[in-house]
Amino acid sequence: MSKKKLKGLEELQEMFDVNMDRRYFLKCSAFLGGSLLATHYLGRFAQAAAGADWSTLDLPIGDAYTHYLPENQIYSVCQQCNTQCGIKMKFVDGLLAKIDGNPYSPWTLTPHIPYKTPIAEAATIEGAICPKGQAGIQALYDPYRIVKVLKRAGKRGENKWQTIPFDQAISEIVNGGNLFGEGQVEGLKDICTLKDPKIAKELAEDSAKVADKKMDLAAFKEKHKDHLKYLIDPDHPDLGPKNNQFVFNSGRLKAGRDDLLKRFIGGALGTENKHGHTTVCQGSLYFTCKAMSYQFEEGDWGGSKKFYWQADTGNCEFILFVGANLYEANYGPPLRNVKLTQGIVDNGMKIAVVDPRCSKGAARAWKWLPVRPNGVAAVGLGMMRWIIDNQRYDARYLANANKAAAKADGEPTWTQAAWLVKINPDGSTGAYLRGSDLGMPKEKRPKKKGDGDWEFDPFLVFSGGAPKPFDPNSEKDAVEGDLLVDTEIKGIKVKSVLQILKETVGARQLSQWAKLADISEADLTDLAREFTSHGKRAVADIHRGVSQHTSGFYNVLTYMTLNTLIGNHDWQGGLSSAHTWNITGDKEGKPFNLTKQSGKIKPFGISIIRHGKKYDKSTIFQGFPAQRPWYPFSSDIYQEVIPSIGDAYPYPIKAYFLYMGSPVYALPAGHKLIEILSDTKKVPLFFASDIVIGETTMYADYIFPDLTYLERWEFAGSHPSVTPKVAPFRQPAATPLTDTVTVYGEKMPLSLESLILGIAEKMKLPGFGENAFGPGLHLKRDEDLYLRMVANIAFGDKPDGSEKVAAAGPEEIKIFESARRHLPATVYDLKRWQALMGPEWWPRVVYVMNRGGRFQEYQKAYKDGQLANKYGKMVGIYMEKWAATKNSMTGKPYPAHAHFMESPTDVLGRKLDDEAKGFDLTLLTHRHISQCKSRTVGNYWLLALYPENFIDLSPVDARRLGFNDGDQAKVISPTNEAGVWDFGHGHKKPMIGKVRIVEGLRPGVTAFSLGHGHWAYGAGDVVIDGVKVPGDPRRATGVHANAAMRVDPVLKNTGLVDLTGGSAVFYQTQVKLVKV
Amino acid sequence: MSRELPAEDPLVRMQRDLKRALKKKPKEIQWGMVIDIAKCIGCHACTIGCVAENKLPPGVVYRVVLEEETGHYPQVRRRFVPRPCLHCQNPPCVKACPVTATWKTEQGVVIVDYNRCIGCRYCLVACPYSARTSDFAEWYTEGTPDLAGKLVGRKAAANGYEAHPAAEYGKKWPDRDHDSPVGNARKCHFCLHRLKVGMLPACTTTCIGRATIFGDRSDPQSLVSEMIGSPRVFRLKEELGTLPAVYYLK
Repeated sequence: MSKKKLKGLEELQEMFDVNMDRRYFLKCSAFLGGSLLATHYLGRFAQAAAGADWSTLDLPIGDAYTHYLPENQIYSVCQQCNTQCGIKMKFVDGLLAKIDGNPYSPWTLTPHIPYKTPIAEAATIEGAICPKGQAGIQALYDPYRIVKVLKRAGKRGENKWQTIPFDQAISEIVNGGNLFGEGQVEGLKDICTLKDPKIAKELAEDSAKVADKKMDLAAFKEKHKDHLKYLIDPDHPDLGPKNNQFVFNSGRLKAGRDDLLKRFIGGALGTENKHGHTTVCQGSLYFTCKAMSYQFEEGDWGGSKKFYWQADTGNCEFILFVGANLYEANYGPPLRNVKLTQGIVDNGMKIAVVDPRCSKGAARAWKWLPVRPNGVAAVGLGMMRWIIDNQRYDARYLANANKAAAKADGEPTWTQAAWLVKINPDGSTGAYLRGSDLGMPKEKRPKKKGDGDWEFDPFLVFSGGAPKPFDPNSEKDAVEGDLLVDTEIKGIKVKSVLQILKETVGARQLSQWAKLADISEADLTDLAREFTSHGKRAVADIHRGVSQHTSGFYNVLTYMTLNTLIGNHDWQGGLSSAHTWNITGDKEGKPFNLTKQSGKIKPFGISIIRHGKKYDKSTIFQGFPAQRPWYPFSSDIYQEVIPSIGDAYPYPIKAYFLYMGSPVYALPAGHKLIEILSDTKKVPLFFASDIVIGETTMYADYIFPDLTYLERWEFAGSHPSVTPKVAPFRQPAATPLTDTVTVYGEKMPLSLESLILGIAEKMKLPGFGENAFGPGLHLKRDEDLYLRMVANIAFGDKPDGSEKVAAAGPEEIKIFESARRHLPATVYDLKRWQALMGPEWWPRVVYVMNRGGRFQEYQKAYKDGQLANKYGKMVGIYMEKWAATKNSMTGKPYPAHAHFMESPTDVLGRKLDDEAKGFDLTLLTHRHISQCKSRTVGNYWLLALYPENFIDLSPVDARRLGFNDGDQAKVISPTNEAGVWDFGHGHKKPMIGKVRIVEGLRPGVTAFSLGHGHWAYGAGDVVIDGVKVPGDPRRATGVHANAAMRVDPVLKNTGLVDLTGGSAVFYQTQVKLVKV
Repeated sequence: MSRELPAEDPLVRMQRDLKRALKKKPKEIQWGMVIDIAKCIGCHACTIGCVAENKLPPGVVYRVVLEEETGHYPQVRRRFVPRPCLHCQNPPCVKACPVTATWKTEQGVVIVDYNRCIGCRYCLVACPYSARTSDFAEWYTEGTPDLAGKLVGRKAAANGYEAHPAAEYGKKWPDRDHDSPVGNARKCHFCLHRLKVGMLPACTTTCIGRATIFGDRSDPQSLVSEMIGSPRVFRLKEELGTLPAVYYLK
């Protein structure tokens, strides 16, 4: 084997500027040339030589180190990426001195220390966290952080700013006016005009009837003639109220803050447009698993939740990682790596990695399979073919048609493999066969809520040569069915779901699936055999590399169906899902119900991203295709928000509020958003919350400084591979660095909370201020919500209170108080907090805060070979709802099951073939562990580690294209032939980076890591109050090639998309590399 | 493969080992480290953990992780080798020091007395593992804007993470200006300030692959002794006779 040094010792030293390069040489010469420093050193040399005591060599270790004392520590949660590891923050003289892992948190130790461990004892124990987490201190103390409200003093995006008082900013946003000397701008008070919950409810109900054609438009207009003024368009009442013209959009947002925003954006301002960013991450992974979680509820499909599964990593025997960057990303390194390294080295665990790039995970795997990016689903489908042909699936599990049958087998979940589906005359698959199809009577059953009856129409399996009806949820009548059924019953052609899958994967030979994936047939067979050789202790664990394709939904469904074939859900070493303690208190027995909001409006109407709605069931249906796609099965479609605003489809908006997001930097083809955000006609008012002037917030009218994650509250939730039940949270820990403002008479730092509360106070919004949560329960500052959430965690989820945590004793309470001695009253005041909690809750809240949350013990997360915290329901693999819904662009029904979908396609479903036009490389992105997407470039320790990213090429392509290691290359694509970012006002940045030649990359593919190539976020010059603030060139290094990503030829202002799962497509652009 | 759940994290085991060691007479302790290359996944958490713990300035690094790619497509492997000071029992750097500012303690840790070091850098050259670097008085925040009141600014940032040196060797060093450790040779000291209070070195507690094992080599019950007994064990440049106290597992 030949050996190629990626980074030799010399290069690594250079990385940390260790070498005596010219710069250092000059500096050192200066030392010796008689400068003050040199004199000092030389003086000491003489002194040392003359007076050294050569006989005693002793260096007693002193007592200056104080990090280990519990009174210098506060536990919180990291947010340098979304893994959200538990952290221990250590303070010296009121400054944050070090960040380590919280040993109580299952993220940092396996197993983590028992929850009851006294904090004095835990003070010297540290869990492990990644380099980003430890560098978070440089996000807190970032010289480029803003501390005052900024208002633009030039055109949008010119990066000229003035600092203005908080109160002025709030007034201007609420009241509007000629704010920028460019004409009138409407404020929130004129946008969010519908405030009466009763009127809102009536309009919502009747507009839905109009859309359903159950009410005549004229009748609607007559009935609501006094209230038509509230609607965006009375002729299309289903668009909803004018309030919807206020759009909120978030990047990284977790519970707590999210609950405050729900109350503010939806409940108080009444807009339907509160959108997150899920689809830029792994949207189709979330929305496929959501689709699989639909249950049969009172005659309809419901009860689905947005979530996904991952492997119970440490307890698997075999994991097939597909498109998952384990060891560097993938939710996340501290949590999963130790389980993998120990598993592989000590416990005989096997892993295989399917990825065009030899990731750090692939480099240690049993097999690395450099798949053809567009063929990623073919690996799973080929495996499925082999598994079905050889009957290696778990037949006992699959035969269970309902809950009772699963229970009888000791299976926590069941699926639809044996259910019968009606086959359409054209051979396509339709709805499930129901009792009524065979003339069986429907059964009347009372609704759970007690408001009437619903009709039960049974589903059917085929068993013992005859159809057999069943109730999927029955706990008594266990029904099993034949797995492979292709028959006709009473003239109706039916097939079982497994039969449908068998035919789907049977359409191609194993060799053809292997060819489609471009891996060997032998490898494909090996994978399938290995996957089915460990009982329930094997998992196909997938991530973005599977979901961020135009076929993302069906790619994910393929691998999740594969898991279902062995029924590994809820088994130790199988698939697991996240479980958390309730924080909002809307459950029996909880101390504080924080969802209460009197005067709350229920938002309604079609959102700006048209999610959860069917185009052909709306009043703006004008035949197929729609002007832009509708997303009946996904939400939080990040890439759709700004382009839809740009196209004013389905309506124009008036104000846009962006929180902790950078769509311009983070989205594929994000450059197309710049033009829209710069246009004050399309986005009349744009305000944002950020910590630094970023690539997107640079186009805002106002930027409100926020606190970093180290200074504030937030409830971090969990991740699928965390098997214990948890409730970690951030809390005020580092002294806030933003200016202090007064809202509701309370002093607090500038932050998202003060921004929300400031607007709420100014507009007298319901559910804020006095009696916000009910009589005597105010919401005037952060802790009014968040401390009560901690109390809800302390209480537990058992209505009888039997799950309450222990009360902190005097010693722990003393440590708690002492550890916060540096915090100002603007964020922490002992008396205020005690008064808010009362004597019953205070010591329990302290107990939880002292540990950075609540964490179930590791051993208790498992019972009898299964997970203690179960999904415990039906796992869907055939979505009849999909078959009954029309794609808004093609007018065709959505396929209901896993299959191979040709990709990439445009939104009309036409295959794109840029390779034929000479764009010969598929562009991939990946994460290096030292950077998150858009906001770690100011962490100089991390930059020292990895100062710039590279454009990776395989040696084959490098030779073919004439590139040498270190050459400069420009990335160009069919939709960015110039290969540049254009920021407006004459500012441009070409997408030029350094070529790095690596063996571990599939030929025909090029890749760059995310996080570099900035032009804002401290990388570019800005002007504040007339003073030029120069950018730091260290923050501008490397290349960010998202602007090369393919723009959809139909939409023209958006990258490629998955119309089913909502994903923004990252891995299907063809590019060319041009020598510079 | 065992169906048992893991009973104890290696970090917690090492913490127990450490407590036991600290009860011994100091001269009976022999600190040592084992780095399991098969478990190192090149995350660089140890590098940054060390930089953060010791507030190392630009140019100073105690523990790097070397990366190497081997093989040809598609038979490719990547290997990562963390390299702290190896704490040789026969350390060449010590002999090179003209002012006896560096030596091996009785517990086998090679240390630098910043108050004796004159910054001649002979030891940097003498170390066959390039484990020593020199503090050239650099600042990470150098060149960043100082618009205090409108931005956090350079001064506050520097005050936050680099103006006040860490308590290396358990000592309070003056604010970074002209005094030690500025100008000195600097190197890994196994976080002696942490060991003293019963904490493992920062590189060890931050190892998210649990590739770094630390403890008392003279305690046969310790995890580090157990690992040194592994058939996979080797030491870097063994032919030089430096006898490192840091071992590797293949």
